[in-house]
Amino acid sequence: MPGYPIPPEIARLERPREQLLTWYFLKALATVFAFPVTMLLFYFRYHTMRYKFDEDGIHMSWGILMRHEIMLNYSRIQDIQLHSNVIERWLGLTRIEVQTAAGTSDSEMTLEGLPNPEAMRDFLYSRMRGGHTAAPAPANAAPEPLQAVLLEIAFELRSIREVLEARKT
Amino acid sequence: MIHWLQKNILHLMKMPAEPQPPDGSGGSARVFRSGRNYYRWRLALWFSANVGVVILLAAVLFGLARTIKAGPPWSRLIAEALMALLVTAFLVSGVFTFLQQSMNYELRWYVVTDRCLRIRSGILNVHEITTTFANIQEVRLSSGPLQKLLGLADVEVHSAGGGSGKGSSDSHVARFEGVDNAGEIRDFILVRLRQYRDSGLGEKDHSRLLAFSVESQAAAQAVLTEARALRAAFAQR
Repeated sequence: MPGYPIPPEIARLERPREQLLTWYFLKALATVFAFPVTMLLFYFRYHTMRYKFDEDGIHMSWGILMRHEIMLNYSRIQDIQLHSNVIERWLGLTRIEVQTAAGTSDSEMTLEGLPNPEAMRDFLYSRMRGGHTAAPAPANAAPEPLQAVLLEIAFELRSIREVLEARKT
Repeated sequence: MIHWLQKNILHLMKMPAEPQPPDGSGGSARVFRSGRNYYRWRLALWFSANVGVVILLAAVLFGLARTIKAGPPWSRLIAEALMALLVTAFLVSGVFTFLQQSMNYELRWYVVTDRCLRIRSGILNVHEITTTFANIQEVRLSSGPLQKLLGLADVEVHSAGGGSGKGSSDSHVARFEGVDNAGEIRDFILVRLRQYRDSGLGEKDHSRLLAFSVESQAAAQAVLTEARALRAAFAQR
Protein backbone atom coordinates (compact mmCIF):
# COMPACT_ATOMS: atom_id res chain seq x y z
CA MET A 1 0.00 0.00 0.00
CA PRO A 2 2.49 2.66 -1.04
CA GLY A 3 1.32 6.17 -0.60
CA TYR A 4 -0.52 5.41 2.60
CA PRO A 5 0.65 7.55 5.51
CA ILE A 6 2.84 5.98 8.16
CA PRO A 7 1.48 5.86 11.72
CA PRO A 8 3.05 8.77 13.60
CA GLU A 9 4.62 6.63 16.32
CA ILE A 10 6.51 4.70 13.64
CA ALA A 11 7.39 7.72 11.51
CA ARG A 12 8.89 9.26 14.64
CA LEU A 13 11.27 6.36 15.28
CA GLU A 14 14.87 7.21 14.67
CA ARG A 15 17.08 5.94 17.48
CA PRO A 16 17.24 2.54 19.17
CA ARG A 17 16.48 2.26 22.87
CA GLU A 18 19.19 2.77 25.47
CA GLN A 19 18.92 -0.85 26.59
CA LEU A 20 20.57 -1.80 23.33
CA LEU A 21 23.84 -0.35 24.59
CA THR A 22 23.57 -2.54 27.71
CA TRP A 23 23.04 -5.56 25.51
CA TYR A 24 26.04 -4.57 23.39
CA PHE A 25 28.10 -4.25 26.55
CA LEU A 26 27.17 -7.78 27.61
CA LYS A 27 27.84 -9.04 24.12
CA ALA A 28 31.27 -7.41 24.17
CA LEU A 29 31.99 -8.91 27.60
CA ALA A 30 31.44 -12.33 26.10
CA THR A 31 34.42 -11.79 23.80
CA VAL A 32 36.66 -11.62 26.96
CA PHE A 33 40.06 -10.44 25.72
CA ALA A 34 38.76 -8.64 22.67
CA PHE A 35 36.44 -6.63 24.90
CA PRO A 36 38.07 -3.18 24.37
CA VAL A 37 37.89 -3.52 20.60
CA THR A 38 34.41 -4.99 20.32
CA MET A 39 33.02 -2.56 22.88
CA LEU A 40 34.41 0.36 20.93
CA LEU A 41 32.83 -0.93 17.73
CA PHE A 42 29.51 -1.55 19.44
CA TYR A 43 29.63 1.84 21.09
CA PHE A 44 29.97 3.62 17.75
CA ARG A 45 27.45 1.31 16.15
CA TYR A 46 24.92 2.22 18.80
CA HIS A 47 25.57 5.94 18.66
CA THR A 48 25.48 6.18 14.88
CA MET A 49 22.47 3.93 14.37
CA ARG A 50 19.58 5.71 12.70
CA TYR A 51 16.25 4.44 11.46
CA LYS A 52 13.82 6.04 9.12
CA PHE A 53 10.47 4.61 8.14
CA ASP A 54 8.92 6.40 5.19
CA GLU A 55 6.10 5.61 2.81
CA ASP A 56 8.14 3.31 0.60
CA GLY A 57 10.42 1.48 2.94
CA ILE A 58 12.92 1.28 5.73
CA HIS A 59 16.21 3.16 5.85
CA MET A 60 18.83 2.11 8.33
CA SER A 61 22.37 3.38 8.73
CA TRP A 62 25.25 3.00 11.14
CA GLY A 63 29.02 3.24 11.39
CA ILE A 64 31.68 5.94 11.06
CA LEU A 65 34.75 4.27 9.58
CA MET A 66 32.73 1.57 7.91
CA ARG A 67 29.57 3.36 6.92
CA HIS A 68 26.56 1.17 6.29
CA GLU A 69 23.29 2.20 4.80
CA ILE A 70 20.47 -0.14 3.94
CA MET A 71 17.23 0.73 2.24
CA LEU A 72 14.53 -1.74 1.48
CA ASN A 73 10.99 -1.55 0.22
CA TYR A 74 8.12 -2.82 2.32
CA SER A 75 6.68 -4.59 -0.69
CA ARG A 76 9.87 -6.61 -1.15
CA ILE A 77 9.83 -8.08 2.31
CA GLN A 78 9.76 -11.87 2.17
CA ASP A 79 9.38 -12.68 5.81
CA ILE A 80 9.65 -11.04 9.19
CA GLN A 81 11.36 -12.80 12.04
CA LEU A 82 11.49 -11.98 15.71
CA HIS A 83 14.44 -13.25 17.71
CA SER A 84 15.12 -12.83 21.38
CA ASN A 85 17.23 -14.71 23.88
CA VAL A 86 16.69 -14.67 27.63
CA ILE A 87 19.01 -11.75 28.32
CA GLU A 88 17.50 -9.65 25.56
CA ARG A 89 14.05 -10.31 26.95
CA TRP A 90 15.18 -9.26 30.41
CA LEU A 91 16.31 -6.00 28.87
CA GLY A 92 13.06 -5.73 26.95
CA LEU A 93 14.70 -6.11 23.55
CA THR A 94 13.71 -8.11 20.50
CA ARG A 95 15.54 -8.25 17.19
CA ILE A 96 13.39 -7.95 14.10
CA GLU A 97 15.01 -9.57 11.12
CA VAL A 98 13.57 -8.43 7.85
CA GLN A 99 14.24 -10.76 4.95
CA THR A 100 14.10 -9.92 1.29
CA ALA A 101 14.85 -12.12 -1.66
CA ALA A 102 18.44 -10.90 -1.92
CA GLY A 103 20.97 -13.67 -1.91
CA THR A 104 22.74 -13.01 1.34
CA SER A 105 22.75 -15.85 3.80
CA ASP A 106 22.15 -13.59 6.79
CA SER A 107 19.05 -11.53 7.20
CA GLU A 108 19.08 -8.44 5.02
CA MET A 109 18.22 -6.07 7.80
CA THR A 110 18.17 -6.50 11.54
CA LEU A 111 16.20 -3.89 13.41
CA GLU A 112 17.57 -3.75 16.92
CA GLY A 113 16.39 -1.98 20.02
CA LEU A 114 13.04 -0.80 18.75
CA PRO A 115 10.59 0.15 21.50
CA ASN A 116 7.60 -1.94 20.48
CA PRO A 117 8.77 -4.83 18.29
CA GLU A 118 5.40 -6.53 18.04
CA ALA A 119 3.68 -3.39 16.81
CA MET A 120 6.52 -2.93 14.33
CA ARG A 121 6.08 -6.48 13.13
CA ASP A 122 2.38 -5.89 12.60
CA PHE A 123 3.11 -2.67 10.75
CA LEU A 124 5.64 -4.35 8.46
CA TYR A 125 3.27 -7.23 7.92
CA SER A 126 0.50 -4.86 6.87
CA ARG A 127 2.82 -3.34 4.24
CA MET A 128 4.39 -6.45 2.82
CA ARG A 129 3.11 -8.13 -0.30
CA GLY A 130 0.07 -10.25 0.31
CA GLY A 131 -0.27 -9.13 3.89
CA HIS A 132 -2.73 -6.31 3.52
CA THR A 133 -5.40 -6.19 6.11
CA ALA A 134 -8.13 -5.65 3.55
CA ALA A 135 -10.23 -8.75 3.16
CA PRO A 136 -9.08 -10.95 0.29
CA ALA A 137 -11.40 -11.67 -2.59
CA PRO A 138 -12.35 -15.30 -2.19
CA ALA A 139 -12.68 -17.16 -5.46
CA ASN A 140 -16.21 -18.41 -5.01
CA ALA A 141 -17.95 -15.84 -2.81
CA ALA A 142 -20.72 -13.41 -3.83
CA PRO A 143 -20.26 -11.83 -7.29
CA GLU A 144 -18.02 -8.78 -7.34
CA PRO A 145 -19.74 -5.40 -7.25
CA LEU A 146 -18.31 -4.64 -10.68
CA GLN A 147 -19.87 -7.75 -12.08
CA ALA A 148 -23.25 -6.90 -10.55
CA VAL A 149 -23.17 -3.39 -12.04
CA LEU A 150 -22.27 -4.74 -15.46
CA LEU A 151 -25.17 -7.16 -15.30
CA GLU A 152 -27.47 -4.29 -14.45
CA ILE A 153 -26.14 -2.29 -17.39
CA ALA A 154 -26.84 -5.20 -19.66
CA PHE A 155 -30.36 -5.39 -18.27
CA GLU A 156 -30.93 -1.67 -18.88
CA LEU A 157 -29.66 -1.88 -22.45
CA ARG A 158 -31.87 -4.86 -23.15
CA SER A 159 -34.82 -2.88 -21.83
CA ILE A 160 -33.96 -0.02 -24.22
CA ARG A 161 -33.88 -2.45 -27.10
CA GLU A 162 -37.22 -3.85 -26.08
CA VAL A 163 -38.73 -0.34 -25.91
CA LEU A 164 -37.43 0.36 -29.41
CA GLU A 165 -38.73 -2.92 -30.73
CA ALA A 166 -42.14 -2.22 -29.23
CA ARG A 167 -42.25 1.14 -31.09
CA LYS A 168 -41.44 -0.49 -34.43
CA THR A 169 -44.37 -2.80 -34.40
CA MET B 1 5.34 -29.71 40.96
CA ILE B 2 6.76 -29.81 37.46
CA HIS B 3 4.05 -27.44 36.24
CA TRP B 4 4.71 -25.01 39.07
CA LEU B 5 8.42 -25.10 38.26
CA GLN B 6 7.77 -24.58 34.55
CA LYS B 7 5.44 -21.68 35.18
CA ASN B 8 8.03 -19.94 37.30
CA ILE B 9 10.81 -20.61 34.85
CA LEU B 10 8.74 -19.17 32.04
CA HIS B 11 7.92 -16.12 34.09
CA LEU B 12 11.57 -15.65 34.95
CA MET B 13 12.53 -15.92 31.29
CA LYS B 14 9.92 -13.31 30.31
CA MET B 15 8.39 -15.63 27.82
CA PRO B 16 6.17 -13.72 25.38
CA ALA B 17 2.53 -14.71 25.24
CA GLU B 18 1.11 -17.18 22.79
CA PRO B 19 1.35 -15.81 19.23
CA GLN B 20 -1.80 -14.25 17.85
CA PRO B 21 -2.80 -14.31 14.19
CA PRO B 22 -2.16 -10.94 12.56
CA ASP B 23 -4.88 -8.35 12.07
CA GLY B 24 -7.36 -8.84 9.31
CA SER B 25 -7.25 -12.60 9.34
CA GLY B 26 -10.66 -12.73 10.94
CA GLY B 27 -11.74 -16.19 11.87
CA SER B 28 -9.57 -17.77 9.23
CA ALA B 29 -6.69 -18.54 11.57
CA ARG B 30 -5.95 -22.11 12.41
CA VAL B 31 -3.31 -23.20 14.88
CA PHE B 32 -1.44 -26.42 14.26
CA ARG B 33 0.63 -28.09 16.96
CA SER B 34 3.33 -30.69 16.98
CA GLY B 35 2.11 -34.24 17.37
CA ARG B 36 2.15 -35.89 20.80
CA ASN B 37 4.81 -38.24 19.52
CA TYR B 38 7.07 -35.28 18.87
CA TYR B 39 7.57 -35.03 22.63
CA ARG B 40 8.56 -38.70 22.73
CA TRP B 41 10.87 -38.12 19.79
CA ARG B 42 12.54 -35.23 21.61
CA LEU B 43 12.82 -37.34 24.76
CA ALA B 44 14.47 -40.08 22.75
CA LEU B 45 16.99 -37.57 21.38
CA TRP B 46 17.57 -36.22 24.88
CA PHE B 47 18.05 -39.70 26.24
CA SER B 48 20.53 -40.79 23.58
CA ALA B 49 22.52 -37.58 24.02
CA ASN B 50 22.66 -38.19 27.75
CA VAL B 51 23.75 -41.78 27.31
CA GLY B 52 26.68 -40.42 25.34
CA VAL B 53 27.49 -37.97 28.11
CA VAL B 54 27.27 -40.69 30.77
CA ILE B 55 29.75 -42.85 28.88
CA LEU B 56 32.11 -39.91 28.51
CA LEU B 57 31.71 -38.97 32.17
CA ALA B 58 32.37 -42.53 33.31
CA ALA B 59 35.54 -42.62 31.24
CA VAL B 60 36.75 -39.33 32.73
CA LEU B 61 35.99 -40.42 36.30
CA PHE B 62 37.68 -43.75 35.76
CA GLY B 63 40.77 -42.02 34.40
CA LEU B 64 40.83 -39.56 37.31
CA ALA B 65 40.47 -42.35 39.85
CA ARG B 66 43.40 -44.21 38.34
CA THR B 67 45.72 -41.23 38.22
CA ILE B 68 45.11 -40.10 41.79
CA LYS B 69 45.87 -43.50 43.26
CA ALA B 70 49.54 -42.80 42.73
CA GLY B 71 49.41 -39.14 43.82
CA PRO B 72 49.76 -37.57 47.26
CA PRO B 73 46.71 -37.34 49.60
CA TRP B 74 45.97 -33.63 48.87
CA SER B 75 45.64 -34.28 45.16
CA ARG B 76 43.12 -36.96 46.00
CA LEU B 77 40.94 -34.36 47.74
CA ILE B 78 41.03 -32.05 44.75
CA ALA B 79 40.22 -34.86 42.38
CA GLU B 80 37.29 -36.01 44.49
CA ALA B 81 35.90 -32.47 44.62
CA LEU B 82 36.27 -32.25 40.86
CA MET B 83 34.43 -35.54 40.43
CA ALA B 84 31.59 -34.39 42.67
CA LEU B 85 31.36 -31.15 40.71
CA LEU B 86 31.22 -32.98 37.39
CA VAL B 87 28.50 -35.35 38.57
CA THR B 88 26.37 -32.54 40.04
CA ALA B 89 26.76 -30.46 36.91
CA PHE B 90 25.66 -33.43 34.85
CA LEU B 91 22.63 -34.13 37.06
CA VAL B 92 21.52 -30.49 37.15
CA SER B 93 21.89 -30.02 33.42
CA GLY B 94 20.12 -33.34 32.91
CA VAL B 95 17.10 -32.17 34.89
CA PHE B 96 16.97 -28.82 33.12
CA THR B 97 17.34 -30.23 29.64
CA PHE B 98 14.64 -32.77 30.52
CA LEU B 99 12.27 -29.96 31.49
CA GLN B 100 13.31 -28.14 28.36
CA GLN B 101 12.06 -31.00 26.18
CA SER B 102 8.48 -30.80 27.37
CA MET B 103 8.53 -27.01 27.33
CA ASN B 104 9.95 -26.95 23.84
CA TYR B 105 7.14 -29.26 22.77
CA GLU B 106 4.44 -27.20 24.44
CA LEU B 107 5.74 -23.78 23.37
CA ARG B 108 5.44 -24.32 19.66
CA TRP B 109 2.74 -22.81 17.53
CA TYR B 110 2.14 -23.03 13.81
CA VAL B 111 -0.52 -20.46 12.96
CA VAL B 112 -1.97 -20.44 9.45
CA THR B 113 -4.45 -17.81 8.30
CA ASP B 114 -5.95 -17.18 4.89
CA ARG B 115 -2.99 -15.03 3.82
CA CYS B 116 -0.06 -15.68 6.07
CA LEU B 117 1.59 -18.09 8.39
CA ARG B 118 3.32 -17.47 11.65
CA ILE B 119 5.55 -19.93 13.45
CA ARG B 120 6.80 -19.53 16.99
CA SER B 121 9.28 -21.83 18.65
CA GLY B 122 12.07 -21.92 21.18
CA ILE B 123 12.51 -21.26 24.86
CA LEU B 124 15.89 -19.72 25.55
CA ASN B 125 16.01 -18.33 22.06
CA VAL B 126 12.52 -17.41 21.03
CA HIS B 127 12.10 -17.34 17.29
CA GLU B 128 9.04 -16.19 15.42
CA ILE B 129 8.65 -16.04 11.66
CA THR B 130 5.79 -14.43 9.76
CA THR B 131 5.44 -14.72 6.02
CA THR B 132 2.63 -14.30 3.53
CA PHE B 133 1.46 -16.86 1.00
CA ALA B 134 2.24 -14.33 -1.72
CA ASN B 135 5.90 -14.87 -0.90
CA ILE B 136 5.96 -18.61 -0.58
CA GLN B 137 7.94 -20.46 -3.21
CA GLU B 138 7.67 -24.08 -2.25
CA VAL B 139 6.44 -26.53 0.34
CA ARG B 140 8.44 -29.59 1.36
CA LEU B 141 7.64 -32.58 3.46
CA SER B 142 10.32 -34.68 5.03
CA SER B 143 10.57 -37.41 7.61
CA GLY B 144 13.28 -39.86 8.58
CA PRO B 145 12.73 -43.56 9.23
CA LEU B 146 12.38 -43.10 13.01
CA GLN B 147 10.05 -40.15 12.60
CA LYS B 148 7.98 -42.16 10.17
CA LEU B 149 7.67 -44.89 12.76
CA LEU B 150 6.28 -42.30 15.18
CA GLY B 151 3.98 -40.87 12.51
CA LEU B 152 5.79 -37.55 12.43
CA ALA B 153 6.97 -35.34 9.61
CA ASP B 154 8.40 -31.87 9.10
CA VAL B 155 6.71 -29.45 6.73
CA GLU B 156 9.07 -26.83 5.39
CA VAL B 157 7.71 -23.72 3.75
CA HIS B 158 10.31 -21.83 1.74
CA SER B 159 10.16 -18.23 0.72
CA ALA B 160 12.46 -16.69 -1.88
CA GLY B 161 16.04 -15.82 -1.27
CA GLY B 162 19.27 -17.65 -0.74
CA GLY B 163 19.55 -19.10 2.70
CA SER B 164 22.87 -20.32 3.91
CA GLY B 165 21.40 -23.78 4.00
CA LYS B 166 22.40 -24.52 7.57
CA GLY B 167 19.49 -26.84 8.14
CA SER B 168 17.07 -25.68 10.79
CA SER B 169 18.67 -22.27 11.10
CA ASP B 170 18.08 -21.54 7.44
CA SER B 171 16.69 -18.06 7.43
CA HIS B 172 14.08 -18.29 4.68
CA VAL B 173 12.32 -21.39 5.92
CA ALA B 174 9.30 -21.73 8.14
CA ARG B 175 9.27 -25.20 9.67
CA PHE B 176 6.29 -27.08 10.99
CA GLU B 177 8.38 -29.43 13.08
CA GLY B 178 7.18 -32.84 14.16
CA VAL B 179 3.57 -32.63 13.04
CA ASP B 180 1.45 -35.76 12.79
CA ASN B 181 -0.89 -34.35 10.14
CA ALA B 182 1.65 -33.21 7.56
CA GLY B 183 -0.56 -34.06 4.59
CA GLU B 184 -3.42 -32.00 5.95
CA ILE B 185 -1.14 -29.03 6.58
CA ARG B 186 0.31 -29.29 3.10
CA ASP B 187 -3.14 -29.30 1.52
CA PHE B 188 -4.23 -26.44 3.78
CA ILE B 189 -1.30 -24.36 2.53
CA LEU B 190 -1.64 -25.38 -1.11
CA VAL B 191 -5.28 -24.31 -1.21
CA ARG B 192 -4.22 -20.88 0.02
CA LEU B 193 -1.32 -20.73 -2.39
CA ARG B 194 -3.64 -21.28 -5.31
CA GLN B 195 -4.93 -17.71 -5.23
CA TYR B 196 -1.39 -16.53 -5.98
CA ARG B 197 -0.63 -19.13 -8.63
CA ASP B 198 -0.20 -16.56 -11.39
CA SER B 199 1.81 -14.03 -9.45
CA GLY B 200 5.55 -14.02 -9.11
CA LEU B 201 8.21 -12.28 -7.13
CA GLY B 202 7.62 -8.56 -6.83
CA GLU B 203 4.52 -8.45 -8.94
CA LYS B 204 1.54 -6.28 -8.24
CA ASP B 205 -0.30 -7.68 -5.35
CA HIS B 206 -3.85 -8.57 -4.65
CA SER B 207 -4.88 -5.32 -3.03
CA ARG B 208 -3.75 -3.28 -6.02
CA LEU B 209 -6.03 -5.35 -8.19
CA LEU B 210 -8.83 -4.70 -5.76
CA ALA B 211 -8.12 -0.97 -5.85
CA PHE B 212 -8.18 -1.10 -9.63
CA SER B 213 -11.53 -2.83 -9.64
CA VAL B 214 -12.94 -0.16 -7.33
CA GLU B 215 -12.09 2.47 -9.92
CA SER B 216 -13.50 0.51 -12.80
CA GLN B 217 -16.59 -0.09 -10.74
CA ALA B 218 -17.13 3.66 -10.49
CA ALA B 219 -16.79 3.93 -14.27
CA ALA B 220 -19.25 1.12 -14.81
CA GLN B 221 -21.60 2.83 -12.40
CA ALA B 222 -21.47 5.97 -14.58
CA VAL B 223 -22.35 3.91 -17.64
CA LEU B 224 -25.26 2.43 -15.78
CA THR B 225 -26.61 5.86 -14.85
CA GLU B 226 -26.34 6.89 -18.47
CA ALA B 227 -28.15 3.82 -19.71
CA ARG B 228 -30.94 4.36 -17.21
CA ALA B 229 -31.39 7.95 -18.33
CA LEU B 230 -31.45 6.83 -21.93
CA ARG B 231 -34.20 4.34 -21.25
CA ALA B 232 -36.20 6.95 -19.37
CA ALA B 233 -35.85 9.31 -22.33
CA PHE B 234 -37.01 6.68 -24.77
CA ALA B 235 -39.93 5.68 -22.62
CA GLN B 236 -41.17 9.27 -22.38
CA ARG B 237 -41.39 9.81 -26.12
